[in-house]
Parts: sequence; structure tokens; C-alpha cells
Amino acid sequence: MTTPASHEMPGAMKRLSCPFCGPRELHEFRFHKTLPSADAPASVFQRVYERSAERTLSIEHWQHLGGCRGWLLVRRDPSSGAVLAVRLLDGAAP
Amino acid sequence: MRRYSALALLRAGLRGGRGWQPLWQRQPLRDGYDVVVVGAGGHGLATAFHLARDHRVGRIGVLEKRLVGYGNVGRNTTIVRSNYLLPENHYFYEDALRRWETLARDLNYNVMYSPRAVIDLALSDDDLPALARRGNAMRLAGIDAELLDLAALERFVPQLDARRPRRFPITGALVQRRGGTVRHDAVVWGYARAASALGVEIIEDCEVTGVRAAAGAATGVETSRGYVRAGRIVFATAGHTAAVGAMLGVALPLETHLLQALVTEPVKPLLDTVLVYVAPGHGEIYISQSDRGGLVMGGHLDGYPSSTQEGQWFRLEDVAQTAVELLPRIGGLRVLRQWAGVNDMTMDGSPLIDRLRYDNVFLNAGWCYGGFKAIPASGAACARLVATGTAPDLIQAYRLSRFASGHVLDEPGYGPYPARQ
Repeated sequence: MTTPASHEMPGAMKRLSCPFCGPRELHEFRFHKTLPSADAPASVFQRVYERSAERTLSIEHWQHLGGCRGWLLVRRDPSSGAVLAVRLLDGAAP
Repeated sequence: MRRYSALALLRAGLRGGRGWQPLWQRQPLRDGYDVVVVGAGGHGLATAFHLARDHRVGRIGVLEKRLVGYGNVGRNTTIVRSNYLLPENHYFYEDALRRWETLARDLNYNVMYSPRAVIDLALSDDDLPALARRGNAMRLAGIDAELLDLAALERFVPQLDARRPRRFPITGALVQRRGGTVRHDAVVWGYARAASALGVEIIEDCEVTGVRAAAGAATGVETSRGYVRAGRIVFATAGHTAAVGAMLGVALPLETHLLQALVTEPVKPLLDTVLVYVAPGHGEIYISQSDRGGLVMGGHLDGYPSSTQEGQWFRLEDVAQTAVELLPRIGGLRVLRQWAGVNDMTMDGSPLIDRLRYDNVFLNAGWCYGGFKAIPASGAACARLVATGTAPDLIQAYRLSRFASGHVLDEPGYGPYPARQ
């Protein structure tokens, strides 16, 4: 039988690193939404309701609500909790 | 299947407790099935049970990645209720609640349905009219609901000490007396036993990894143990539905979030109802006492997508703090265990029961954090959709197309941000 071994998990994420404020506790941040996959055509319906379906990559909007209130673009692996990249949300493609 | 009864108990007792059979048969994996159900949790097994009992669909195989009942059916807080505002939801969950009331007889298995009342507490003068509106909507649909003022609430739950000064003073409550708890492990074991007795084959340790299709129809599933032909495929995959969408190349309107729960050490009877206490932006808790005496409680989602089944400390702390705020006398209890389940949160908080991409592939998923209480209704309705090709009225509103057409069922009114609180 395949049994889960929690010690195999790299661990839940504890901090996010804000480009302005540096590494801060996760509860200072508010997750907003995941973005649809990059190659999806962007009809209004898809932009509003569809979400990324990749198991190991999630591209997300977050806000540093308990800090500088800046909006962030975060790339994470939701299957491990690993944060891959954080940058300020600007007009550029995710 | 040997039926359970007082006589069977007596007979086995006289034989020294020998002669009991395993609840379900272990079966080898076949080359193909007429219907493959993916996921041996509550929804998968209930769907298989109803397919076998109510319809003629041939051989049914339930393929499970790990163990029967390993996922969310064994991780929820066991609460059942039908106190929803929207008609599409309250009729569906009422169908489930009526089935819970007779499930032990229908499955010949004691699922320990305990109608101990679910109490939604009002925490301001504005909360009461909102609860009254929900209660009235339920009563118009023939569902039991009672609005209690503070004096009536004090009589109903004296141990709550409702008038005690709190940061959010309790002002009243909405009660559904037929709501309560059901032992979740017994539900999955009972469905597995009843389905197995009807010829459903349950295969554990068999992960579905892909779908094969030809000429516009699915022909089978790829699994960790090889290819399996399938006439029809039902995905009842709880927190892994995004992976199903990826297999089929369909983007789904959902995000995968974590929900934690915890149980305290067992104590003598203290709480004989289910209390729900929601202070938006502050804390949220639902709490009941298990038959063994532990106080089982949960709160809000961890707040961001995760499929790790590992919860965050800050949420655990927040749930425990809110529980002590509600019932200060439990502050000295120790937490025995904490766990997390992976929830597929749809963009309107309501489930998805529909065909997926092919005419012979079906999805029974997107249950958000409310899947457990839906199991009996979802199994019956989904089985009918799979067997007849037509969705019964009860689940017409749960089609995937509702998002594109604008017919979303947004019960809490949050919009497409399921992690918002």
C-alpha cells in the first residue's frame, strides 16, 4: 500500500519575501487568486472563473496587506509549499 | 453479505465472536469495466453503490489511489445539515439529509446519524435578519428551521452561557434540529460493504494517471498498474480534480485549498449540539463533541492554494482561540490531533456534477468544504446521470456551463474568490 509520509513533504510555507519589506510572516499577506494558465485564450469568462490546473506551479496574486499593501505576483509549487519567485505586480506578463 | 442484526450478533457471540466476514472483498484488477469510478471516498463509493443497486450498468470497478476512505471522507468534521439559502442548494442538501436519516437501514450498517441540531449563532443585530431570511427560505421549501432569541438559545444550549460578555456578543441563533453529525468512517465502510455485496469491485493502491480516448469518446484509463478499459468513467476525486482537468485538457473553475481540523482530548459530555460561530474578519469555528468525548472543530481555509495536506500553525491557533472565546471552559483542554484535507474550491462555492469533455466521462467534484453532508444525495443523483445520461432535476444547477452562462450559485456572495473570508 502507498502510505503517506509527512516527513517527505518539504514543509508548509512560513514566509513570503516582499520586494519592499523583505521576508515577512505569511499572515501579513493575503492571497487573492490564482491566474489561468498562460496559454489560455482570455475571454471574460475564462479570466474571471478559470484557474491554473498545474499540480506543481501556481501563479498567484497576493497583497502585502499587513505591510506595504503592495500587490505581488507569486510563483509557487502548491504540492510542496515552495515559493519559486515573488515580484511586484506590474503591467508585464506573469 | 451477511446481514447485521441482533440475531446475527447473538449467534456470533455464542460462537465466541468468530464468523464475521471482512466488510468488502479484495479483488484483483481486471482488464476492463463497464463503469470505472475513480476514487473510493464517500462520493465515489456512494455513486458505485447506487449504480449497482438502482441501475443496470454491468460491471463496476472503483479504483482508489491509496486506501478506501483515506481522503476527505475521513478528514471532515462529520457535520450534516441542509440550512442553505439558495433553493438549488437547500433542495439538494435536504435530499441528502433525508437519506442520512435512513442510511443506517439502507446500508444495513450503523453510521451513527445523530440529529443533535446545528446552531448558527448570530453575533450582531444585523446577523439575526440574515439568519431569519435563510430560515424563512428553508421553511418555504419544507425544511425545518427555527429562529431563537437569546432567552430561547439559553434554554437550548445552557452550557454556551450566551449572555456572557464577548467581543462579539451573541444575539440569537438559527437552529436546524435535524442537522447533526454522522460518523464519517462508518459511512465509507458502510457504502464499501453494501457496494461490494452488490458486486462492485473495489481496487486499492491503483492510481489513475490518464484517460485514453478514440473517436470522440474515452476508451479507458491509464493507471499505476496498467491500462484499464472503461465503458464509462466517473471521477469522484475530491481535492485532485485539477489533475483530472489536466488529464483531459480542460481548465476548471476551481482552486485547491487546505482546510484544517483538530480534536481535543476526550472529556465527559459537554456539548450536545453543533455550534457554528462566524465573526467575519475575526474568526470562524464549528464545533461538536464526538461520541468518544473529543471536541472536534474546524475553521476557515488556510487561505492559499495547497495540496500538501499539511496545515498552517496560524490557522490552528486561530481556530483554538476562537473556540476558547466561544466556550471559555474548554480552554484547559489539550489538542490531541490536528489534520488537513485538500478541498477543491469552485468559483461559486457549489459543486460540479456533469459530463467532462467526453460523453462517457463524468465529474462528481468541486465539493469545496461541504462534500461530506452531500454524499447520499450526490451518489444517487450522479449514478442516475451516469446510467441514464440525463441529469436529475436535483443536480441540473451543478453543471459546468453555469459559469459561462452566468447562472452561478454563489451562496456566501463572495464572488470568484473562494479563499476570501
